[in-house]
Amino acid sequence: MTGAIRSPARSQLRALLAAKIRLLVPLIIIYLTSYVGLTVLAGFAKTTMAYKIVGPLNLGLILILFNYALAWILALVYVRVAGRTYDPEVERLRAGIEKSRQCAT
Amino acid sequence: MRYVTLGMFGVILAISLAITYWAAKRTRTTSEFYAAGNRLSAAQNGFALAGDWCSAAAFLGFTGLTALYGLDGAFYALGPLVAFCTVLFLIAEPLRNTGKYTLGDVIMYRMQRKPALLAAVIGTIVVNFAYLMPQMAGAGVLIKLLTGISYDASVVLVGISMIVYVAFGGMLATTWVQIVKAVFMLAAAALVLVLVLAFVNFNPLILFDGVEKRYGTNFLLPGNYLKNPFDQISLALGYVLGLAGLPHVMTRFYTVPDAKAARKSVIWVMFLAGSFFIATTIFGVAAAYFIGKDALQVADRGGNLTLPLLAQYLGGGAGTLGGELMLGFVSAVAVATILAVVSGLTLATSGAIAHDCYVNLIKHGQVDERRQVRVARGAAVVIGVLAIVLGIFAQGVNVAVLVILAICIAASANFPVLVLSLTWRRFNTGGVVGGMMFGLISSIALALLGPAVLGNDAVWPLVNPTILSMPLGFLGAVLGTLLAGRDRANESRFDDVLLRAHTGVSPSDA
Repeated sequence: MTGAIRSPARSQLRALLAAKIRLLVPLIIIYLTSYVGLTVLAGFAKTTMAYKIVGPLNLGLILILFNYALAWILALVYVRVAGRTYDPEVERLRAGIEKSRQCAT
Repeated sequence: MRYVTLGMFGVILAISLAITYWAAKRTRTTSEFYAAGNRLSAAQNGFALAGDWCSAAAFLGFTGLTALYGLDGAFYALGPLVAFCTVLFLIAEPLRNTGKYTLGDVIMYRMQRKPALLAAVIGTIVVNFAYLMPQMAGAGVLIKLLTGISYDASVVLVGISMIVYVAFGGMLATTWVQIVKAVFMLAAAALVLVLVLAFVNFNPLILFDGVEKRYGTNFLLPGNYLKNPFDQISLALGYVLGLAGLPHVMTRFYTVPDAKAARKSVIWVMFLAGSFFIATTIFGVAAAYFIGKDALQVADRGGNLTLPLLAQYLGGGAGTLGGELMLGFVSAVAVATILAVVSGLTLATSGAIAHDCYVNLIKHGQVDERRQVRVARGAAVVIGVLAIVLGIFAQGVNVAVLVILAICIAASANFPVLVLSLTWRRFNTGGVVGGMMFGLISSIALALLGPAVLGNDAVWPLVNPTILSMPLGFLGAVLGTLLAGRDRANESRFDDVLLRAHTGVSPSDA
């Protein structure tokens, strides 16, 4: 009986996870590279960090501000996609499991 | 004795005790004690997360670092914000779906074996105490600095307060103390920010220009504080991955009804705490501009009085009514900051000892509700007393090592085990034990062998061990998994774990 409950749910779950991975892996690579990259730059390329961009604000400060903005934007992107795409999928999955459970009892 | 500060602090203390009284009447079940009945909204949890995560290190420390050392302070403040990306993308929702009250619950849900739970408990307790001890010591130093009360009395006062909040009011009291603290903290920051901007005709560039003219271009370049670039990278890694392994923050996600709310609460805290961290950078530069590095270092060598002194200056300066009120307000908020964090730590540790150890490990889950709550309350008292004792003994000790160590262990032991439990099919109990062991031992050993403890005789050249101990933690997890052999049952059960982690339901739910 459990096999019958799980089969359609299983493939739905796999599809959901594949979709999540497709979004999360790039997001994770972006924020980690940007943040650790900035730290590497700050450690090894101090003269680059000194370039003035806006008045007295140098590249270092600008990049720090950029990373704040990046973190916020990536987070909002994820929450948006999750709300629009993943949550309905999850609802469908749960409804499906509920139905199979009711049929089984 | 600073009476204005004492008075304001007294008000904050009274508010928090009132909260505890209100919460105590609503804290009867384990669900209420550990997770506030899962009834918090995303916004409430977001504010509480901000209150929990932004310690006095953030409030006073980042500002001071930026004022004294320039850009490095701004760097320090960025990490704690970016860390929430790790939490959002990897941990928050699966944690909420697979666990009940603690980090141990998640590991146990995946592994279903006691050694795994024990390893998780050890990881939680070590990190929490490593975090708690410097908070208590910091409280002693700070309260003494800001109000005049003696170090020991300050530690005892903080300790008794947190015991009362947690033992009587559980997660509900802790949450609202954290929310109130966050509101005060953000209000204080907003006030100081508006005043700073008003002083420079709303052109913040004047501040940056000014400090450069005064202290040279090197001031706004990295490397004034963290001289070793590998140390900078190590610190950055510690923050960005360690938050996800910090039990007292992660267990906050159990207070919301579902994963969706958990997700939204991260957005809330990212904007609240993130704005606050940016503000500390502006405050630091402003303090260096208005007051000057020398005066700040005379007041406190570590720069910890920077923000209160800036507030005093903006209010009119020392001796004026406005100045003293501003100083008192900001100082009182700084002290409240500590209360919120140590309460969260005490509650999370109580969860590890009462729920994970006593109820699940020792009694196999066979304990009735009332007894569970009583044991949890008792654990909170014991932990609180221990924290007071440790805090008193820590006077004069270099607690900076402990602060670094706590985050580092979280990144090296807790984070690898947690993330692998949620993503790797092959991962098994041997991996949990191996990961915890390698992570714990390497972070502690490297910290003890490093410059923070051994000074110039250091064997390990970096203050922050994370850059080596975190990979070692992962290595230990992999080795442990491979050495323990294959566990087919565990691997096929992973489908159920994934289902639960990503949808909140199990196929065997009745």
